Amino acid sequence: MDGSMRKFYGGFTALGLLVGVLVIVAYYRDQHREWMIYQRRYLQEEVRRAATPPQRVLAERTPIQIRQILLPELGRVDRCTTCHLAVEDPSYGGYPQPLAYHPLHDQHPFDRFGCTICHRGQGRATTVAAAHGHVPHWDAPMLPLKYTEASCGQCHQAADNPAAPALARGEQVFEASGCRGCHKLGGVGGVVGPDLDKVGARRSPEWLKAHFLAPATVTPGSGMPPQKFSAPDLEAITLFMLSQTGETVPGFYASMKVIPSAAVGRRLFQQKGCIGCHSLNGQGGKIGPALDDVGLRRSPEWMVAHFRDPQAVSPGTVMPRFGFTEGEARALTDFLLHLRDQQVALSLPSLMGPVERGREVFRTYGCIGCHGPDGKGGVPNPNAKTAEQVPALTYVADGYTKAELAKRILGGQRDITPLDPKRPPPPLYMPAWGGIIKEAEVDDLVAYLFSLKPKGEDLGF
Amino acid sequence: MSPPASEQPPSRRAFFELTFGWLAATFAVVASSVAAVKFLTPNVLYEPSLRFKAGRPGDYADGSVTFLEDERVFIVRQGNTYRCLSAICTHLGCTVNRAGAGYHCPCHGSVFNAQGQVEGGPAPRALEWFLVTLSKDNRLLVDKTERVAADKYLVL
Amino acid sequence: MNAPLPKRLWQWFVRSRVGRSVFRVGLPESNLERSQAMVSSFLLHLQPAKVSRHALKAGTTLGLGLISLYLFLILIGTGLLLMFYYVPSTDRAYDAMKDLQFVVSAGLVVRNMHRWAAHLMVLFVLLHLCRVFFTGAYKRPREFNWLIGTALFLLTLGLSFTGYLLPWDQLAFWAITVGTNIAGYAPVVGPRLKFLLLGGNVVGQEALIRFYALHVIVLPAVAGLLVAIHLWRVRKDGGLSRPDEPADLVEQVEQSRLPTNKTYGLMELARGTTPLVGRNPEDDVFSWPHLVFREVLLFLAVVAVVMFLAVFWNAPLEQVANPVHPPNPAKAPWYFLGLQELVSYSAFWGGVVVPGLLVAVLVLLPYLDRGRAGVGRWFARERVVANTVFALCLAAAIVLTVIGSLFRGPNWSWQVPWQPPPAAGGEP
Repeated sequence: MDGSMRKFYGGFTALGLLVGVLVIVAYYRDQHREWMIYQRRYLQEEVRRAATPPQRVLAERTPIQIRQILLPELGRVDRCTTCHLAVEDPSYGGYPQPLAYHPLHDQHPFDRFGCTICHRGQGRATTVAAAHGHVPHWDAPMLPLKYTEASCGQCHQAADNPAAPALARGEQVFEASGCRGCHKLGGVGGVVGPDLDKVGARRSPEWLKAHFLAPATVTPGSGMPPQKFSAPDLEAITLFMLSQTGETVPGFYASMKVIPSAAVGRRLFQQKGCIGCHSLNGQGGKIGPALDDVGLRRSPEWMVAHFRDPQAVSPGTVMPRFGFTEGEARALTDFLLHLRDQQVALSLPSLMGPVERGREVFRTYGCIGCHGPDGKGGVPNPNAKTAEQVPALTYVADGYTKAELAKRILGGQRDITPLDPKRPPPPLYMPAWGGIIKEAEVDDLVAYLFSLKPKGEDLGF
Repeated sequence: MSPPASEQPPSRRAFFELTFGWLAATFAVVASSVAAVKFLTPNVLYEPSLRFKAGRPGDYADGSVTFLEDERVFIVRQGNTYRCLSAICTHLGCTVNRAGAGYHCPCHGSVFNAQGQVEGGPAPRALEWFLVTLSKDNRLLVDKTERVAADKYLVL
Repeated sequence: MNAPLPKRLWQWFVRSRVGRSVFRVGLPESNLERSQAMVSSFLLHLQPAKVSRHALKAGTTLGLGLISLYLFLILIGTGLLLMFYYVPSTDRAYDAMKDLQFVVSAGLVVRNMHRWAAHLMVLFVLLHLCRVFFTGAYKRPREFNWLIGTALFLLTLGLSFTGYLLPWDQLAFWAITVGTNIAGYAPVVGPRLKFLLLGGNVVGQEALIRFYALHVIVLPAVAGLLVAIHLWRVRKDGGLSRPDEPADLVEQVEQSRLPTNKTYGLMELARGTTPLVGRNPEDDVFSWPHLVFREVLLFLAVVAVVMFLAVFWNAPLEQVANPVHPPNPAKAPWYFLGLQELVSYSAFWGGVVVPGLLVAVLVLLPYLDRGRAGVGRWFARERVVANTVFALCLAAAIVLTVIGSLFRGPNWSWQVPWQPPPAAGGEP
C-alpha cells in the first residue's frame, strides 16, 4: 500500500471529522442559548397552571422564540420580555425573577415604552449579563432599582412629577446648593466645572456620591468644594444627576413632559406674565378680567380650550395665543380651579421688589455654590489670597459702585491671585456671566448684593 | 515520496477510510448549508407583530369602526362586542378603505359589505376576521394568525 | 474487484448520461484519464496535468499561497452571509452587529469566522510574500507575477482596512480615524486621498458607505481578478520556480514560442512551456491525485482552523462609535501599528518616506535584482545579501508592530504588555 495515499486518507478523515465536530459544537451552542432555559421554564409553568385543556394546548404550542418590543421612535429594541415573560400578568405577582410580575404598567404600557427607557441595560442583548449591561463595552448598565426614579426625568420635568418625589427633591437640592455657579445644565450656569447635561449617562451612582462628598478622590485635582449633603439629600441629588442623560425623547414621549398639576400651572402663570393683564387678590393688570373666581364662571373644558386658542372660544379677545400644549393648558386650568377652593398666596416676580428679585437671581444662577448662603462666604478655594476661600459678598456695597459691581459680575475674573505663587493656582474663579445673566437681572442682583450689608445703611433705591 | 506505483487503486481498508472521510466531509458541507439557511431565516422581525395589543376596550366608541394603520386592520365595536377585520383585500393585497357601511378596494374596485363579504369586483373571498381576546392587563389582544368566523365576537 | 457500495454508486452515476455530461471523465483510472480529469474540469484546469515532485514537497512553498486563497474564499462566503444582515448606516450598522451576536442563528460564528479569516489572510499573504522572496521566486520570467502579488498584498490590506470600519464601534471608528490620518501624511496626494476615501473631513456616514462599497464589491472584484491572473501566470511562467530550471525556459516563456519539437497534443496547445519541457519525466507525477488531494486536505485544514478560532474566540465589539470620546490610546488595525509607531517618531519619515520606499522597492525588486543565482531554493547562499536585507526589514517591521500593539499605552507612552485598559477618561 502506498504510504502517501494512506496518509492522505487518514488526514482527510481526521480533518473532515474535526470540521464536523466544530459544526456540531457551533450548532449546539446556537440551540442552547441562555434565554431558552428561561422560556422553557415559563412555558412549563404555564402548562402547569393551565385550568382548561385549550389553555394547556395554547401553552404547549407557544413557540420558543425571541420576543421583542420595537420602539422605533426611541431608537430602541427591547428583548427583555424574552426572559421576563410574565411582566404583564398579575397572576405572577411575587414570583422570583425572571418571571416576576411588573406592576405599574397601566400608565406606561410596555408595548409602547419597552423596558430600557426606564431601567437602562442593553435591550438588544439576550444573555443575562449582556442584557443587564454588566459587561465590558456597554456604558448603560441597569440602574439599581432605587435609582430607577431618575429615568422619570427623561420625559417628565423633575419638579412636576408627583410620582417621583426624590427626583423633585434632587432638583431642589441642585438649585439650592448653587451647582449652577460652576456647572452648566441645560445651557444655564457657570463655566468653572464641566457641563452636566450628559453626566447621568456617564457616571455610576457610586461615582457620583463619592464625587459629591470628596471630589478629589475620584477626580484627582478637582477644585470642587466637598459638599455637606445630608444622607437623603445626597441620594436625591445623585438621582437628579442620573436623570441628566442628555438623551432627548421624541414626539409622543416629549409631549408627556408636563404632568398637569396645580403647581405646574402656578409656575406657568408666573412665567408667562399672566399677572400683567389679569389680577389675583386685587394685584396685577386690569386689561383682562380678574381671575379670582374664574373657576365659578367657566367650565374646565372651556378653560382648556381657551388656553390652547383664545380666539376659538372667545372670538375677538385681545388675549394672545401662547402656544400652550394640552398638558400646560390643563395645568393652568388646574391651578385656576384650585384658586376657587382655597386662596393661594402668590409671590409673583412682577409683584416683587428688586431685592427680592435679585435674591431669586442669586439663587437661580448658583452664586450660593461659591459665595455661600446670603453671600456669607466660607467656601474653600485652596491657595486663594483671600484666606484660601471664595470671598464673602457681605460688604461689596462698600467697595464697589453699582455700575462697577455689575461690570464685575458680567466680566468675571479668570485669574485669582494666589497666596503662594509656587503652589497650583486656586481652582475656583469668577466666570464672566455676561450673556448668561440677563441685563435686567443684573440690576436686581446688584440691588440684592448691596442689601447684604448689615442694617442701618441707605440701600439706595 | 513513493514510486509511481502509487497510481495503483487504493486498498480496501484505505477505501473505507476514504469513505468515512467523505461522509464526514459531506456532513460538514450539508451541516454548513443547513446552518446558512438557518442563518438567513430571521429569528426576529422588524415589522408589526402578528399578535398585538390594540389598546383598552374603552378607547373605541360604541358602533365605531377604527382603522389601525400599522397593523392594517379595522377594530369594530358594537355595544359590548369587539371584532377585528382585516383591511387587506383578498384579491391582490391592497389596503381597503371604508365606504359607507362597507369597504372598497381602490386598486381594482372590489366592494365588501360590513360583514366583509364580497359584493362586487374581482375579490375571490370575503375579508378575514381575526381572533380578539382580552389580555391579562385588560387590553384588546388581536391575533392575526388565528382566523375566525365573522360572527365570533369578544363580549365584555 | 468487488468495490464497496458507495464507490459502485458513484461509478454508476458518473457513467450515466447525466454524470457524463457533468464530469466528462469521472474518477480517473488510467494516466490518460488523470490528465483528462485535470484539463476537462473548470475547477481543476487551472492546474497542470502533471506537477514536479519538487513543487509538491511541503517545504517548497509551505502552501502559503493556497492558504491565502482559501482564506479569501472563506471570506467571500462568510462575507456574503453577513451582507444579508448588515446595513451600512451609522444608525443601524452597530445594531446589526448586536443582532448578529444575539439573535441571528450562527450569526456570531459567521462574523467571527470572517474576522479571523481576515486577520489570517493578512498574515498569510505576508508570509507568502516572504516565501517568494526567500526562495528567489520573483526572478525572470516571474517578475510580473511578483508585481501582481504585491498588488494583491496591498489589496488584502485595503480589504481588511475597509472592513475594519463596518461594525461602527469605538474600535472601528478610531482605528479608521487614525489609519486615514496616517494616509493623510503622504505628500501632495495624502490629504486629497484621505478626503476622497472618507467622502469628507471626518469619519461619518459618507465614509461608512464608501468603505462598504469598497469592501464588498470594488476591492474583492479587483482582488478576484488579480488572483485569477496570478494563478494563470504561475502556469504560464513555467510552474513553481525550482532549482534545476532549464536555461531555455526563460526564453520560451518570454517569447511565447510554441515548442517546435513536440506534437500539439493534449497538453501542448497552450502558450509557453509544457509540463514536460526540459524536465525529466521521472520527476513529475500526475496532479490527480497527488496535487488535488493535497489541496483538498489543506482546504479542510484551513476551514478547521478558522472554525476553531471562530467557535472559541469572539471578534471584538466595543461601544458604539462616539466621535466625542476617543479611547486612549486610539490605535490603527494591528498591521498598521508598525506605521503608527513610526509616525509617532516622525510624521514625514514614518508616514511618507518609509512606507513609500517599501512599496517602491517591492514593486521594482524583480527588475533591480536580476541575478539568476539561487532561484527556487530557500535562503540560497548566493542571495545572502538580499535575504539578509529583507530579513532585517521584516524584523524591523515585526518589532515596530509588536511595540505598537503591546508596549504602547495611553498617550502612546510605554507600558507593560497586557495592561487592563484604563478606566474611561476623567472629567471630560
